[in-house]
Amino acid sequence: MGSLAQAYGRPLASVIALIAAVWILALILVPLGAMLEQSLWWRDSKGDISLQIDRLYNEIATIQLDRENEADPARQAAFDSALQQKQAEASALEAQELDPPKTYGFANFTRMSSLHLYIFVRTIFYALMVTALALVVCYPVAYVVALASGPRKAIILMVALIVPYAINELLRVYAWLMILDYRGVINGVLQWMGFIDLDAREWIPFLENPSAVFLAMIYTYVLFMVFPMVNTLETLDRNQIEAARDLGASTLRIHRRVIIPHAKPGIAVGCIMTFMLSAGSYSVPAIMTRGQGGDWFSQLVYRQFYESNNWNMGSAYAVSLLVVCTAFILIMMRLFGVGLRDIAK
Amino acid sequence: MSTATESAGARLVMNIYIGIFVLYLFLPLAVMSAAAFNSFDYPSVTQWHGFTLKWFVALAHDERLLQGLVNSVLVALGVIAVSIPAGLSGALILTRLGQRSGTVLYSVLVSPVLTPGIILGISSLIFWREFGVPGGLFVAVMAQSSFIASYAMLLFLARLQRQDRTLEEAALDLGASHTLVFRRITLPFLAPTCFTAAVVAFLQSFENYNTTVFAIGGEWTLVTEIASRLRFGLSPVINVVGVIFVVLTLVAAVTYVLLKGKPRR
Repeated sequence: MGSLAQAYGRPLASVIALIAAVWILALILVPLGAMLEQSLWWRDSKGDISLQIDRLYNEIATIQLDRENEADPARQAAFDSALQQKQAEASALEAQELDPPKTYGFANFTRMSSLHLYIFVRTIFYALMVTALALVVCYPVAYVVALASGPRKAIILMVALIVPYAINELLRVYAWLMILDYRGVINGVLQWMGFIDLDAREWIPFLENPSAVFLAMIYTYVLFMVFPMVNTLETLDRNQIEAARDLGASTLRIHRRVIIPHAKPGIAVGCIMTFMLSAGSYSVPAIMTRGQGGDWFSQLVYRQFYESNNWNMGSAYAVSLLVVCTAFILIMMRLFGVGLRDIAK
Repeated sequence: MSTATESAGARLVMNIYIGIFVLYLFLPLAVMSAAAFNSFDYPSVTQWHGFTLKWFVALAHDERLLQGLVNSVLVALGVIAVSIPAGLSGALILTRLGQRSGTVLYSVLVSPVLTPGIILGISSLIFWREFGVPGGLFVAVMAQSSFIASYAMLLFLARLQRQDRTLEEAALDLGASHTLVFRRITLPFLAPTCFTAAVVAFLQSFENYNTTVFAIGGEWTLVTEIASRLRFGLSPVINVVGVIFVVLTLVAAVTYVLLKGKPRR
């Protein structure tokens, strides 16, 4: 902080520090903490509370009746005190019914049903598959864009990649929805070729298959894999490739020993971004399946918040997702030996 | 260049591969765009009922989509207003900090970029409810800013690394006040980045769905409205929105290439 004040003067430095502090606290750390806190408690709504209240009111009514029929003032006073006590008990219980006490613990995490747990694991597995497939598809593309073409062609290719990347992901998913829908392009072509009859509802239900989500997801996030790899490959000195070739290395060996080691940080970043985006994607599964295909975990989270109105459970689901993503990032960083500063480029 | 070292066969295979990849990227967009001009009620290219522009007219009369557009612009402007000062402050502090304390701060400030969007939306929703603010445009601005500010900060950091600090020191030695130095030297140096960061922030915010859908509550932006339409059925009006997006992006890309291609070479 001292050097900041030295450079910009005390008043300006404190304004800068204040803005940064507000950002860190109000936008990043405290909201995350609030979500964590929300995931760690729940309200016990005991079904028998209302029963207990009903029973108390019955007793109160009987005592009131007894008191009205009683002539002795001493007995009356005894009834009065009993009445007061019961009424206090009843209102305490009523308050509890309206505002059940918070209980802290990990139950929100352990209470996940086996179906939801299955969906969670499946989502992570699919996200890993999307990442791996995107890597395989993108490596040649990144190689060509960064190394194997002249500067002019590289610019044109970059633009060809940036244009679809810049178009809203929803619209890109929508394009696939049109292609795979019951009366979509593929079924239309099949009808035109005489294989199926749409009017007899003979279409192929692509959208009811989880691979439809899979396909659209690769389409949507594939470019997040390309760009980091292109960025690192562009810094590779092409003379290294030539030297390796002159020394008699095969193409495969050049890739394995020269190009891939150099591309490592890019591969790590691409994998991290693709995994994070696909594991946490709500748009693609929500639009592609429209309730007909299998759910993704993000959809479960959304329903906990906006349909079941169970924010505690929803937060626990969100925290679980966050933990998996963080673990993935840390593992990739360790595996590829890259630091956080390499990632954020 | 290095293509000379590859055999003609390998080059052919690679070119075919790239061709297929680019087709894979563009064909769905072309299908979507073409269907916007089909007068059939269901967006389709295989059942062609004639060329029409009626879906463009329908979009112009679609109150909810237009309101969504206004909301999207409002949110994006809000995001710019929050994330540019935040990103700039973060970058200024980080360039002046030592390596060790800098790394911790850096990790915290970059973490939103690596966090799934839905998590950012959820945590903002929960945080602001504590203050009685329900999900809506304001919470959407806050949720989006948390990570867009990180992007802005990375842009500012890259620019500040190339700054000649002696200029500021010289001005201070000559008796300029700190505020004057900041206003006359630091800010002008950062001005182009401010502009770039604002454009990036606007686009990021405008396009965002995964974070917004959790934070937006009962209100809507253009993108969340499109998403909720898609869940109930397809309409060519959405294709018209798609065509507009595609055309705008293409125009921007071509302008960029022309601007970048000419002066350098």
